[in-house]
Amino acid sequence: MGRGSQVTEYFSSVISYALGRRPAGRGLTVFPGDTFVVSYFRSGSTWSRFLLGNFIHQDEPVTFANVGRLVPEIYGFPDRVLRTLPRVMKSHECFDPRYPRVIYIVRDPRDVAVSFYYYNLKVRVIPDGYAIEEFVDRFIAAKVVGYADRVGCWEDHVLSWLRLRQGKAGFRLIRYEDLLANPSKELRQLAPLLGIDPNPERIDRAVQLSSAANMRSLEQKQSKEWVTTKDTRKDIPFVRDAKAGGWRSKLPPTCVNRIEQAWGTTMEELGYELAGNLQTPAQLVQG
Amino acid sequence: MPGTIDLRRLGRAIAHASRLLTGRQFAGRGLTVFPDDVFVVSYPRSGNTWTRFLLGNLISQDEPVTFANIESRIPEIYFNTDHAMRALPRPRILKSHECFQPHYKRVIYIVRDPRDVAVSFYHHNVKAGNIPDDYPMEKFIPRFLAAEFDAKWGTWADHVMSWIALRQNQPTFLLLRYEDMKKDAVGELAQVADFLGRCSFRAIDSSPKKLRRVVEASSPERMRAMEKDQARDWVLTRKTRSDKPFVRTATSGGWKSTLSQGSVAAIESAWGSVMQRLGYELTEADSAGAIVTSGAAHAAE
Repeated sequence: MGRGSQVTEYFSSVISYALGRRPAGRGLTVFPGDTFVVSYFRSGSTWSRFLLGNFIHQDEPVTFANVGRLVPEIYGFPDRVLRTLPRVMKSHECFDPRYPRVIYIVRDPRDVAVSFYYYNLKVRVIPDGYAIEEFVDRFIAAKVVGYADRVGCWEDHVLSWLRLRQGKAGFRLIRYEDLLANPSKELRQLAPLLGIDPNPERIDRAVQLSSAANMRSLEQKQSKEWVTTKDTRKDIPFVRDAKAGGWRSKLPPTCVNRIEQAWGTTMEELGYELAGNLQTPAQLVQG
Repeated sequence: MPGTIDLRRLGRAIAHASRLLTGRQFAGRGLTVFPDDVFVVSYPRSGNTWTRFLLGNLISQDEPVTFANIESRIPEIYFNTDHAMRALPRPRILKSHECFQPHYKRVIYIVRDPRDVAVSFYHHNVKAGNIPDDYPMEKFIPRFLAAEFDAKWGTWADHVMSWIALRQNQPTFLLLRYEDMKKDAVGELAQVADFLGRCSFRAIDSSPKKLRRVVEASSPERMRAMEKDQARDWVLTRKTRSDKPFVRTATSGGWKSTLSQGSVAAIESAWGSVMQRLGYELTEADSAGAIVTSGAAHAAE
């Protein structure tokens, strides 16, 4: 790190500390009544926030302008402010033993790879024309960008929560694909964890307000008001396909192979069918 | 206590602010991690300090490790600045109490019988002034089971399982039991030397003669004598009660004479399955089906 950036970092950390503005992140104070929506990056957590937010809050529909307040992100506010906000919060943390109630959303890592690739183009971590093969290698090794690498690769992240909490009270695993296919059913099953009465009108309202079409039109109007999209490229949308299985057309077979080679066992455990023709290590060596 | 100013908390806040203003905040989770770093990880009171002495004496060719120099040899990430640790020669060996951290690439994990951890942790909290001298152990155990004293580490079972479930049997992970180290320090140290050799540490003398010397230089007697002279020089003991030692009995199985049956049963019913997985035998009275999964404390709220 250069001297200049060290100095900048020093001043910004002192100032944000002095003003009490440092985002909570891992330093969050956790309370017994808290609920966390946890996922790896690009695994549908924004959509889930809309869906859950519209399910929980009856007075105002969730938009990009208010989602940060209705279903806050632990990285979005200092601890002090988060204490005053609703305590169903979004987090990307790897296993944190303190979280008392967790809704964990998992998504097919082949789709995560595609989505993360376009996202990093959008936020200018990688330039236009960057080879997706190269990106996928970095994605597998968790060497994409500091804040993401910190929580581990997709498999470490998923397994850290599954191995420690699956089957325990206070933990629910949801596949993004199932949430897309049948959001009403998943909301109905989540209701007890959230302490919400699962009546059909309430569920229908949440599902309709959180449709991809609705979110796209909201993004067009509000992307400047939302911290996540504010300073990013406008030509690449944040709400992209919002579909499962896009990797089949977007991801070259070599990338599919590499992902399945690295995480195949865990993918199968989660019900993600492998594309097959897994190369053995010997074949890989031969080229 | 309501109504009174918590002076210790205030002191900590002032210390934190002044470290921040002078750019000397401790690294902790903000540590810059290099791919060749080796981490010595454990739940608190599981023999981590002893292991650091052993490792320090193993890799050093010259002066022995003391409480006065341990932080510059095998620093603890919570009491040193990122800046200072970045200046250390690589590969570094760092001490951490973190639950599973995916970006720690090479880990020596030390596990200890939680019944002994409980006893040691009790005395540690007395020393630190968190509980009074006569605090009943029966009251302490449920708080220990709920990870009340330092919630960020999680419970003993969560901590251990987070590392074991994700990393056991991988070549970059070495699991050591404190009890095995007590029984055969030289043998376990040979494993450590082998592990460090694979982690690009060069020129480690792992001859039986050297290993025996390392174990001697890190014996509880030596460590106790050093603690007497150096407790004020060491960041971990500096502000704690000097009438209570940091290096206590340094034995295993002490719980058998210290813990009540009720306390033992409480620990075993909360974490029995994890204990058995690690080879810690449960007492007979409890093994009749009272074993609850590791998440009992988690689910109980």
